[in-house]
Amino acid sequence: MRRLRLGSVLVAAIIAAACGSAGGGGTPANSYAGKTIKLGAVLSITGAGGVYGPQSRDGMNLAVDQINKAGGVNGAQISLTVADDASLQSQSAQVAQTMILSDQDLALLGPTLSNSAVAVHPLAEQQKIPILAVSTTGINIVPNCNFPSTVACRYVFRDSLGEETAIPDNIQSYASDAHPSTGVLLVAQDDKFSSDGGKIVEANVAKYNINLLKTIKFNKAEADLSPYVTTAVGLHPDVIFITSLGGIPAKIMIEARKQGWQGQFLGGNGFNTATVSKNAGAAGLGARSASAWYLGNSFPSNADFVTAFKTAYGHDPDQFAAQGYTGIKIIADAAKRANLTFSDLAGDRDRLRAAMETVNIQSPLGPFQFTSTHDVKQTVWVIKMDGQGGFTLVHEIKAS
Amino acid sequence: MGQQILNAIFIGSIYALFAVGYTLVFGVLDILNLAHSAVFTLGAAVTYTLVVNHGQSFWLACVLGIFVAALMGLVIEYVCLRPLRRRRAPPIAALISTIGLALIIIAAIEQGRPGTLFAWLWVDGANPVTMPPGAFPNPTWHVAGLTLEGSKLAVIPISLALMLVLGYVMRSTQVGRGLRAVAENPRAARLMGIDVDRMIALTLVISSALGGLAGILFGVALGDISPYIGRDSVEVRGLAVIVLGGMGSIPGAVLGGYLLGLIEVLAVVLLGSNVRAGVAFAALFLMLVLRPQGFFGAQLRERI
Repeated sequence: MRRLRLGSVLVAAIIAAACGSAGGGGTPANSYAGKTIKLGAVLSITGAGGVYGPQSRDGMNLAVDQINKAGGVNGAQISLTVADDASLQSQSAQVAQTMILSDQDLALLGPTLSNSAVAVHPLAEQQKIPILAVSTTGINIVPNCNFPSTVACRYVFRDSLGEETAIPDNIQSYASDAHPSTGVLLVAQDDKFSSDGGKIVEANVAKYNINLLKTIKFNKAEADLSPYVTTAVGLHPDVIFITSLGGIPAKIMIEARKQGWQGQFLGGNGFNTATVSKNAGAAGLGARSASAWYLGNSFPSNADFVTAFKTAYGHDPDQFAAQGYTGIKIIADAAKRANLTFSDLAGDRDRLRAAMETVNIQSPLGPFQFTSTHDVKQTVWVIKMDGQGGFTLVHEIKAS
Repeated sequence: MGQQILNAIFIGSIYALFAVGYTLVFGVLDILNLAHSAVFTLGAAVTYTLVVNHGQSFWLACVLGIFVAALMGLVIEYVCLRPLRRRRAPPIAALISTIGLALIIIAAIEQGRPGTLFAWLWVDGANPVTMPPGAFPNPTWHVAGLTLEGSKLAVIPISLALMLVLGYVMRSTQVGRGLRAVAENPRAARLMGIDVDRMIALTLVISSALGGLAGILFGVALGDISPYIGRDSVEVRGLAVIVLGGMGSIPGAVLGGYLLGLIEVLAVVLLGSNVRAGVAFAALFLMLVLRPQGFFGAQLRERI
């Protein structure tokens, strides 16, 4: 009897172990217990992109903190290292290389700027490590990260709304509301994000019967933008398009209003942070852009995020924080389903990449999935500055 | 075109005021103080933080901003320059040490965020900020198609007056004669009983005070204060200005400042916006080829 009882216990133990090992090879609970998922984020904390990078970092750290406190990813804790690339392409690549080769991270996030992505993403593709862009919106980020090669990059993903979607949606929205007939484009010519945005504006205005009177190019480090603004205002356009980074859009808006221009500002992703709206102040009132995210959305995955962010940092998040937060949630969801071994790094990176392709989560950006080209497919929110450092919703454009 | 000329005079005033500080140090010490652009930034940052973080009036904040910039001049002298001078280090060593100090100053400002060690110095990390509305009177007039903004107009007489005062001090006062003596021949000046170290320290204080003031005027008038305004906006242009005007020449720096402002703006108006920097530096290159000593090069023998 005693032997029978012992046998039953042994059988039960073997069955439990078998279930556990089947779970390890399938979708187990706690199969990663005691392990660490190492992630690296290359962000622009300082330099021109310093307006955006800290927000992404705060969003990521919040997500990591929430996931770890809730028991981790199948029991594994996430360890996130954030490195500042100082908004420099060369430093961005160096930092990424360290994370890939020395730190042996499972996956990367970033970099903040499209200008740096052209160096970092091909490196990640070559080293076969998944990388998720959380703020880069320029052209040729996904899938052709090795542009001009048209071979699709397998390891590069993006959760940030591309300017090729956002800018035309914004122009279309304003054109149908106000029917402007003339415009001037002010574009920073010395970074990829800004010049890509300029190209998209130039390629789309005619579709909405807007005559682009002039494209005025400048460099980011100009001491004084007044001569460019004077030239733009002197043409009396209905719309001034601004595609530029950091504090520049706000400077242009302030100067144009001082010079008495009363028309409409339209912009790109460079508008979509509270810092730009705050700096522009009353001069930015009504300036429109298309955003991947809107603070006022009340669906639970956004409302919960906004509340948690405000509790953690004492201020509202912005689009970049929402995208950074979503980036960690995406990788965590994929890691949960990827059957990671923690002993075969190359294999784990590839398994994670495959799992990322089938991510389907609720996020602050709304329901989130990747397209077949690893780009984001989501609702676009057309927003305008409220003149007091915030934004209000103008239109919601569902993904087609 | 009138508005563009106003733009040129405004930015030219900033370039000139900044470059005068640059050239003053070069005239006396024969070295380029590459921390000058960081002092420019520091003046603006301190003024901003005193108004926003510490609730001080704008005018008091300006005075303290200039004072802190002047103090930084002493730091440059005592930390970066004097120890190297004592060891007879080559000028390149001083160049590198001032770059190092500039990086430290910028990094300190960058780190300023709520809850950090440098929160008292700055409030918004790498982000550009503007003075709060109403912090200072800034009336705007529209006259004959021109927009005249108080904060920009004020820059012009302030810069000109300060440069005239500096010129007077250099030419007609005991201190000025002492500084010029040190610039001509430090050894002879020492033999004549002039305290050379004191004169050099004074040079750094005056230069840095002017640099800090230029930063305040720039940040306030353009609504753009960030850790990078010195590095991005005036550092290289300041060098161009003193080459155009003649290395070490104060009148040359003034003329060079206004000339560079005019060239940049005319390039935008006449040749297209994307060639602004190219045209400005092409002019600089031409000057180096045709008249390497700059406009006031003939006065090189009698510095500052």
